[in-house]
Amino acid sequence: MKGLTSLFLGIFGTLAFSWVGLTVIPNWQIGRLNPQSDEEGTDIYPQPQSGMVERGVHVYAANGCIYCHSQQVRADYAANDIERKWGDRRSAPRDYIFERPVFLGKMRMGQDIANIGVRAPKEQETPAQGAAVSSPPAPATSPASASPASQGGAPTAASPAAKQTSSPSPSTQAGSPVPAGSPSSAASPAAKGAAVASPPPAASPSPAVGAPWPVQTAGEPPMYSAAWHHVHLYSPRSINIDSNMPSYRFLYEKRRISAARSADALQLSGSDAPPEGWEIVPTFDAKCLVAYLIALNQSHPLNEVKSVGGAPAAPAPAAGSPAPSSPAPKK
Amino acid sequence: MNATGIPLKEPAVSAIAGDTEQLERAYIDASTRVPVLMFYTSAMAWLVLGTLLAGFVSWKLHSPDLLSDISFLTWGRVRPAHMNVMVYGWASMAGMGTAIWLMARLCRTVLRFPLLLVAGACFWNVGVLLGVGGILFGDSTGYQWLEFPGYAAIILFVAYTLVVSWAVLMFRYRRGDQIYITQWYLLGAFLWFPWLYAAGQLMLFVVPVQGVLQSAVGWWYANNLLFLWFGAIGLGTAYYMIPKVIGRPVYSYHLATIGFWTYALFSSWTGMQRLVDGPFPAWMITASIAATILTMIPVATVGLNHHMTMQGYFPLMRYSPTLRFTVFGAMSYTVFSVIGVLISLRSVARYVNFTQASIAYSHLGLYAFFTMVIFGSMYYIVQRLVGREWRYGSLIKLHFWASAYGIGLMTLMLLAGGFLQGADMQNPTLAFSESVETALPYLRGRSLSGILLAASHFIFAYHFGLMLLGLGRTSTVPTFLNPVEAETSRGH
Repeated sequence: MKGLTSLFLGIFGTLAFSWVGLTVIPNWQIGRLNPQSDEEGTDIYPQPQSGMVERGVHVYAANGCIYCHSQQVRADYAANDIERKWGDRRSAPRDYIFERPVFLGKMRMGQDIANIGVRAPKEQETPAQGAAVSSPPAPATSPASASPASQGGAPTAASPAAKQTSSPSPSTQAGSPVPAGSPSSAASPAAKGAAVASPPPAASPSPAVGAPWPVQTAGEPPMYSAAWHHVHLYSPRSINIDSNMPSYRFLYEKRRISAARSADALQLSGSDAPPEGWEIVPTFDAKCLVAYLIALNQSHPLNEVKSVGGAPAAPAPAAGSPAPSSPAPKK
Repeated sequence: MNATGIPLKEPAVSAIAGDTEQLERAYIDASTRVPVLMFYTSAMAWLVLGTLLAGFVSWKLHSPDLLSDISFLTWGRVRPAHMNVMVYGWASMAGMGTAIWLMARLCRTVLRFPLLLVAGACFWNVGVLLGVGGILFGDSTGYQWLEFPGYAAIILFVAYTLVVSWAVLMFRYRRGDQIYITQWYLLGAFLWFPWLYAAGQLMLFVVPVQGVLQSAVGWWYANNLLFLWFGAIGLGTAYYMIPKVIGRPVYSYHLATIGFWTYALFSSWTGMQRLVDGPFPAWMITASIAATILTMIPVATVGLNHHMTMQGYFPLMRYSPTLRFTVFGAMSYTVFSVIGVLISLRSVARYVNFTQASIAYSHLGLYAFFTMVIFGSMYYIVQRLVGREWRYGSLIKLHFWASAYGIGLMTLMLLAGGFLQGADMQNPTLAFSESVETALPYLRGRSLSGILLAASHFIFAYHFGLMLLGLGRTSTVPTFLNPVEAETSRGH
């Protein structure tokens, strides 16, 4: 029965080899990443989400959003994800350390939404979300972590970025129309929505051929605001006629207006609008889903990746955390 | 069944003892009747349900407003429901049915402990039912290929434990020292699956790994399920059926050995190529791409072996349903692997990574290869369990051509649509929505292929139902696809 022993050992050994090689060793390498922070231990990224966002994750999973939407920005040498303004740097393992489940995705029948929260209009964000959400504590985490990242964080972010540009980085972005360079210049209105003084002009800058997402239409809520997400989920083709997304009306409730129109009722028009005296309001699940979408934000610079463009940086560990591309000892 | 007590003679080697051998086989086949038919019948039910769900998935993808207001029929729930029904309901159960029958035959012993299998089949059905119900009512875990909620997964695991303990027990009771190559693949499949499933569940739900590694574990699981579970059962079945039907030994046992070990070694390292350019250390993806390329070695050896075995016997495919389906499946294995290599190369993968091409790849493996081989084995096995021959040769023919054209059209549509979609996505001067627009006509074409496949499945289900009800032909001659002189190809 020698042949039999070797058969069993072989069956066991081959899978053990693959299991160790493809799951255990990567787990040693990048399985215990910590959030990144600056020297003072502030400006921590990423941060765990809680409350409504956490529940929104389950709504996202339950309704299979992952089968059409990816949440990963590929590097500029591999794809034009960055040129499509799906993000201003490639995604890195550290972006996902608190995500469970992780929704990297394998299909793009819809846009990549790794950074969809970045596009939310900034000053609209708080009131709109507050209105939609009606319970302040939960969403408080997302704007808090989001806004310093994309706006206030720009000066601090300049230092790692400067480090990156001084290193021999391929200047593939040099000739591209995308403003290459430091995050401060990346705060172009289109990419950041930072200059949303008033919503309509915000979307107008370059609705040229490569407009990465639908153009703002009059009469709609500001693009990528919470109210916009609700209308989009309720009736995708009212916002973008080419959209292939199914509507998620079962996440919304049609009810009679009792005293006054609810603050979070959807601003619908045309055939989607409810009859006189009725309104469409999001269910709690819908609010959670939108809170989750708005919290999707990988705009915070990471030391291990270039912030515009995006070859993985040379192993330059910052704040004592190892770059993911080097096999690091367990901490 | 109750045939466990029948004393069997030592396997006869001489030609004179041929009758004894025939009798033995009949006893063994009879002993497998209840468990194998249970697995097959459940599998057929899941196949029909999965086909209906597939129709929904396919139509809704290009007509998003179809029934979208009903929460449990939203596309994002029906799609994983379809996939899980097909993977765990149809493919796994039919595969286990065939594997059980093959184990009994190759161990040359009547099936012992049938209750283990009956209980296993019951639990498995309950698990799949709960899991699919869970997905449709919003309990999906969100991990691709592992969407079943925990309460379903645990039942599946219990069911599987029953089946695998049966397999190990059977193996202990086998007679004769020779272990045929098919048994290698089957033992491999039976022992790999619990590890895969347990590792997937543990590393995602019990002691979850951090961040992106969940995706790595998920695709490691999914690809290994495809190769080491379905692929191993499919190849093992082909290694049995092809020589059996044509009545000729496998061309080279040596090649078969090489094929098996290189298959186990290399195909188990694939999976990460699906995460190409993602947020992972590059070596993981490169390792899987290399492994995918190396799977050409087992493909070449297995393909050569089957081809040389079949050499001179290809005309038999005109008559034998089993042979026709099995050879189609075995050839598809080569196509599946070659396309797998093609779309894993980095230069190609960046075009097709997020497109329909990966759906084409999964269907090539699970349908064109595995399911076709299993169809073939069912045409061989069921008639021996119910003691009747298949009723209509014409229905088998229809089944074959509808399946073959259906899966062919689907693969072409998804691959072509996927490549064009990817090319548009990589072209920054085009708006993103144009890449979706590009894919839509091909998705409509895919829906057409779905009609063919649905027809083939309904025909097969009907035919299978006739057999179950004892409405097959009573004849000593098997049902052939085309009229033939009786002695040409007589399956044993």
